[in-house]
Amino acid sequence: MSVEIRGLNVAIGGKTIVRDVDLNVGDGERVGLVGSSGSGKSMISRSIMGLLPANAHVSGSIRVGDRQVVGMRDAELADLRGRYMGMVFQNPAASLNPVTTVARQIALPLRLHYDLTKTERLDRVRAMIAKVGLPDDVLGKYPHQLSGGQQQRVGIATALITSPRFIIADEPTTALDSIVQRQIVDLLVSLVDDAGASMLFITHDFAVLAHATTRCYVLDGGRIADSGDTAALLDHPSTTQTDRLVSAARTLSLVESGEA
Amino acid sequence: MRFVVRRLLLFAAALFGVSVVVFAALRVLPGDVASVMAGLNSPASRVEALREQFGLNRPLPVQYIDWAGGLLRGDFGTSILTGRSVTSLIAARASITFPLIVLGLLIAIAIGVPLGVAATLARSSAARTAFHVAGLIGGAIPALWGGLLLILLFSRGTGLIGLFPSQGFPLDGWAAPGQAIWSLILPALTVGIIVGASLMRYTRSALGDIAGSGRIDMAMACGMTRAQAVIGVGLRLAMPQLVSVIGLTFAEMITGVMVIENLFALPGIGSGLVTDVGNRDLIAVQSELFMLAAFFLLVGLIVDLLHRALDPRLATAADASEVTA
Amino acid sequence: MTSDKTSRTSHTAAQATVRVNANVPAGPTAAIVLHGMWRRGEGKFSIIVLGLWLIVAFVSLFWTPQPLLATDGYHVWATPSAAHWLGTDGTGADVLSWLMAGSRTNLLIVVLTVLFAAAFGLLLVAAMVARNGTLAGASVVVVDALISIPTVLLALILAVPLGASVTVIVVACGFGYGLNLARVARPAALLAARSSYVEAALASGASGWWTFVRHIVPNTLPVLLVQLSLSAGTAVLAESGLTYLGIGVPSGVPSWGHSLATSVKFINVYPLTVLWPGLIVTVVVVALNVFGDVLRDAVDPMVNAELRDGAAGADCDGGTLSDPLRAARPSHTVGQRTAVSVRGTADTDVAGRRSA
Repeated sequence: MSVEIRGLNVAIGGKTIVRDVDLNVGDGERVGLVGSSGSGKSMISRSIMGLLPANAHVSGSIRVGDRQVVGMRDAELADLRGRYMGMVFQNPAASLNPVTTVARQIALPLRLHYDLTKTERLDRVRAMIAKVGLPDDVLGKYPHQLSGGQQQRVGIATALITSPRFIIADEPTTALDSIVQRQIVDLLVSLVDDAGASMLFITHDFAVLAHATTRCYVLDGGRIADSGDTAALLDHPSTTQTDRLVSAARTLSLVESGEA
Repeated sequence: MRFVVRRLLLFAAALFGVSVVVFAALRVLPGDVASVMAGLNSPASRVEALREQFGLNRPLPVQYIDWAGGLLRGDFGTSILTGRSVTSLIAARASITFPLIVLGLLIAIAIGVPLGVAATLARSSAARTAFHVAGLIGGAIPALWGGLLLILLFSRGTGLIGLFPSQGFPLDGWAAPGQAIWSLILPALTVGIIVGASLMRYTRSALGDIAGSGRIDMAMACGMTRAQAVIGVGLRLAMPQLVSVIGLTFAEMITGVMVIENLFALPGIGSGLVTDVGNRDLIAVQSELFMLAAFFLLVGLIVDLLHRALDPRLATAADASEVTA
Repeated sequence: MTSDKTSRTSHTAAQATVRVNANVPAGPTAAIVLHGMWRRGEGKFSIIVLGLWLIVAFVSLFWTPQPLLATDGYHVWATPSAAHWLGTDGTGADVLSWLMAGSRTNLLIVVLTVLFAAAFGLLLVAAMVARNGTLAGASVVVVDALISIPTVLLALILAVPLGASVTVIVVACGFGYGLNLARVARPAALLAARSSYVEAALASGASGWWTFVRHIVPNTLPVLLVQLSLSAGTAVLAESGLTYLGIGVPSGVPSWGHSLATSVKFINVYPLTVLWPGLIVTVVVVALNVFGDVLRDAVDPMVNAELRDGAAGADCDGGTLSDPLRAARPSHTVGQRTAVSVRGTADTDVAGRRSA
């Protein structure tokens, strides 16, 4: 499913966070959105999902498939969320519901959107658990009983259980250590590609970006500062902002994995 | 399981502690009990006679063991003034106070929780301010005044809309349940509205913290509307906190309940206790204070156990304080 | 945010709050804090109400419209008039005069209760964060057990030997609110007590008590301010309830609770006289409840930008230089983290004790 953003402005409490942003994600494409913290990345993803705070003001156009999301009622948007759009969050420990079991957590989008019997739901959850590489016995566990990497696998399973056509990954690896980061990105990419879905991948880390995306946008102070082929941008940064981010990634010596 | 055992032991220890404190406070504090009971300017022989009659001249530990032993057997002693058994006195009064507290609390929850949710979901700043101000004012009304205002509005005889009796409780008690409940409605409303206003503020701030968290975002990303997420996930997550708050509120309601019982002339535990303190009815006061304290310690115990059961992180953690911090 | 800036601002927070609390007439800081409070509608409201309260209490020492004991036998239950602005009660006494004189009693009760609660509460906090594990554990358990016992029960116990008196209200409320304060302030105090600058202070030979007063108490100030102002409001409510029950202010002594209680008996005949005392109590309690919130924000440099700009340069650097312990404060400072965690606790986790 394609997503097309035109002239997006987001203001929160009268302060403009996102200015005049144009952004495309083609059908089946994996697109990155990169920028330092506070550059407005998350506000863009939240605008698409309709997860902005009450005092936010959004103008411009966001088309998800053939639907205009800006100005849509929460009930209509809720029907898109979890059915056509899925989201993987930055910190699974802070976003998974601590009082529900893993099985119920992953089944939540199914329960909200599809009329399935209990066994049908459980079958799908089991299949999904296997796909994200978790053992069967996590089903009855609570999130705090899992490791950070396992928690994020649960997050991915929840986002993908309904096979949505569009996935937003909002810094899905930031809260994880580097070895686990690599596994999670690989898992996410392979699952999204298998399903033929499209993905908007948000990060401040160029090394991760090179793995996960083919094309990317660089966000600076709420504006798109640069865009293009991810590999090309990494080799020949055309703006100072991109250059800064890339060299920061190099100094972190993670870039060698970026060439793969 | 270890936690439950430890908490039960603490409860037993607290019961013992409270019984000692109540017993000692009424004897050690300035003012000899017997002469206080006898009244000012009474002859020494009368004071001595009272001491003799109630065994106050025995050593304190003997008196304590006698009293505490009676408590364990369910014998709370005999009222000095009326000669009635304190046990039956407490039972009769509790049959009014307990329903009043429960009814008041139900009204408070019915008012406080939905309004707290509505305040959290309110989008316009005017609505949010209105909820905020209503909560502040509602929680600042003295119970006495609130009761008076309700009497002026709703009582038969003086009220603008004569609906409820403003005074008293049917003499034959719960023999006519409809009448009994009817006479408890205005008092329970008074308590319920004031406590409900505080509960609304706590619900709002507990939900406010959670509504800004990733857990609500996650639920919404799965396909819930904001309202569904706040009610379905937020309230459940706020539940442990709310149970604690309701527990503490429950304990503090009793002052208001005592005032309200007096105002509405309900012969419950609160108004009875105040009368007994006024009459220096030592044995009755001592047992009644202990029973009330025991009741609230029990509420505290239930709240703590519920709090733990509601949060799987606490239920599996070795040390509760590590997770809550 | 750079670490340097963080440590500096939180440092200012501690200093500023200390200064305000100690009532040192430090012109600029006090003025900035007052200004910060005044800027918000709620702040204006509470400053005006509490200011009026102080003024009326002071004036009533020298002057009331009518002498307290003067009764006007011909104008019993009079409606408001030129001679009796708020009318008279059943004995013909002037309602306004009694309310004015009552403000004095209520002020006394509130001040004494808050002092009692603060002293007792901080003592408990000191025990709960003590290095001695047995003492700390035991005090936590004792506070947890005692907290579920209502204030009014203590008041009743005290009232048996003492009868109706201000002491009953102050001791019972101070005790109960002190327990509450201890429970709410404990997380912030514990965080401070485990921080490396407290370790440093103790290692350099500072005494436990000095460290507690100098380093741990300032870190609990945000909670302290909010909780004490809530307690003050609750004390006003408790006065009216306990006085009505006959175990508060003795009869013949003016207080708002007294005025409320006397008007109750004739509610059916003269409903209007009950309006004033109840209204005054409600307005004052709202003002007190709001006061702590607004003050906490006004002394917090993270919220009050003026304080940051005004005091950061001169004051702070001087403080840092002259005090090696403060300079040794870690960059992820306790001050900031407590302020945040505490806000959650103060608002949500603890029911302010309310009575009557």
